[in-house]
Amino acid sequence: MRNEDLIREVEQFLYREARLLDSRRFHEWLELFTDDVRYWMTGRSNRYPKSSKAITILDPERYVEDDLTRPDELALLDETKETLAARVARLDSGMAWAEDPPSRTRHIITNIEIEPSVSDSELTVYSNFIVYRSRAETEQDFYVGAREDVLRRVDGAWKIASRRLILDQNVLTAKNISVFF
Amino acid sequence: MVTETGTLVDTDRGLLNRRIFIEPEIYRQELEQIFARCWLYLCHDSQIPLPGDFFTTYMGEDPVLVVRGSDGQVRAFLNVCRHRGNRLCRADDGNAASFTCAYHGWTYGNDGRLTGVPNLREAYYNELDRGRWGLHPVAQLDNYKGLYFATFDPEAPPLREYLGEMAWYLDTFVDRREGGIEIVATHKWVMPCNWKFPAENFGGDAYHVQWSHLSAITTGFSVGSTARPADTNRVVSPGQGHGLICIGPDAFGDAPMPEIQAYERDIRPEVETRLGPRAKLVNPIVGTVFPNFSVLRGTSRTLRVWQPRGPEKTEIWSWVVVDKAASPEVKRAFQLSGVRGFSPGGTFEQDDMDNWQECTQTCRGVMSRRVPVNTQMGLGHERYDPALGASVSDCGFSESNHREFYRRWAELMTNKTALRGAGDA
Repeated sequence: MRNEDLIREVEQFLYREARLLDSRRFHEWLELFTDDVRYWMTGRSNRYPKSSKAITILDPERYVEDDLTRPDELALLDETKETLAARVARLDSGMAWAEDPPSRTRHIITNIEIEPSVSDSELTVYSNFIVYRSRAETEQDFYVGAREDVLRRVDGAWKIASRRLILDQNVLTAKNISVFF
Repeated sequence: MVTETGTLVDTDRGLLNRRIFIEPEIYRQELEQIFARCWLYLCHDSQIPLPGDFFTTYMGEDPVLVVRGSDGQVRAFLNVCRHRGNRLCRADDGNAASFTCAYHGWTYGNDGRLTGVPNLREAYYNELDRGRWGLHPVAQLDNYKGLYFATFDPEAPPLREYLGEMAWYLDTFVDRREGGIEIVATHKWVMPCNWKFPAENFGGDAYHVQWSHLSAITTGFSVGSTARPADTNRVVSPGQGHGLICIGPDAFGDAPMPEIQAYERDIRPEVETRLGPRAKLVNPIVGTVFPNFSVLRGTSRTLRVWQPRGPEKTEIWSWVVVDKAASPEVKRAFQLSGVRGFSPGGTFEQDDMDNWQECTQTCRGVMSRRVPVNTQMGLGHERYDPALGASVSDCGFSESNHREFYRRWAELMTNKTALRGAGDA
């Protein structure tokens, strides 16, 4: 397949996923994930880089300047297919008060780039997102960040085998993360 | 004009005037009378283990820098440059021998001393006494089993006395095993609610679990140990406004994950030996140290501070904790139960935010504000239990802790000298 065709196919896949989320078709959305998916979201820390003149580092050996959570650390979300399904089941319970009445979301997905992955049947896909959430009378939030997905071909169709999300905030200004990304 | 706050809280009849949740003048008085006097939680020892390690936080709305000096001693200062009042350190944490202000370059050592002033000789004619212009320290700082607290009040009683009987209850969260706990994650987010709603909720609201959180229980995120007023459940107030919810000693409150259940079963003899005979009577799973520090061991394990940000805004600063002596697999299970239960995306926590937001925002209405709210559950049925060292309810659902919280709040708001010994059981 030509690269342009592949990009087009991946874009369409991600746009369709966004439409399912914005239409609250969560059961269909779940089917887009492989059974072994890891769905993970981190926020950002405020750290001085090693070059900063704001501090003189006492112990350079131990100094951490990375402002992202490491994958083995706890993040904002760390889900499996099973726990994502449980979250969807919770929404169906009629008692998930953070989503009752539900949020109105609009997922804007941009900056899509693809890269070959380790296996022929997998692709790494980078994208950016703006998720607008309106709720109740005047509540609104913007969740803005980046995604790094691994898409895998399963029986001829793309599925999401891994999703790594970076949310570009330190103190999250939304009261909760009750929507999906 | 000073508001007579004493008349707004009637704990004898279980009535609260809703002005206390919304009025800017009352909030301003809280910052003075409560947050500038009480012992407030700063951070855990495991976040600043070695010389130079620092951590920035807040006491009320005052930015605070906690730093372990090159000499190994932990100190806390206003995170404010003494020159023009700029915020000195803008990182969440890190390691430093010295801190330099971004405005004019005044530099402070990690012991708070002013060590560098650009152009000291020409511009200040060498007349600035650097010894008098170090970072402004907190009045008192102390550590209880790895938990660092500080107060701005030099007259405040020692931390151990401030905690009183609450100290043993804190042990059940942070000193279950040799080595205590360690922090494995941080979550910070903004809630559009008054800080007292989460503080009172964690301090004794077992009643909401069976309804607010039923969806998280039925979908497998929690066992919901406080969702029933079981015979063995208690709300417990060890005095001075502190409060906890306890389940029975044989009941299980952690997340329903097999690794965690097996772990708790295995360590139980060790925990009981360590905590003493009271651990055979109650199993504390959530509580609040007055005014705004809460601990949680049901569904998820977290420590958190409800940082006040105006009458209608609170920041949650929450840390997931694990027993230091646990295996990597068990720590991982506790991490996952933390993020999936109590975090911005937590299946328990997200449903609380909406309720506290609406409880706050409906106070904006003039008429809504004139109608008191009800804190009468179990009124007159609390009793002092010497074995627990606390005032307790015999029903697992009671607002006796709410009443203790607001009694303490009213005392501090109206009496400038009440901090020492006040509210002792």
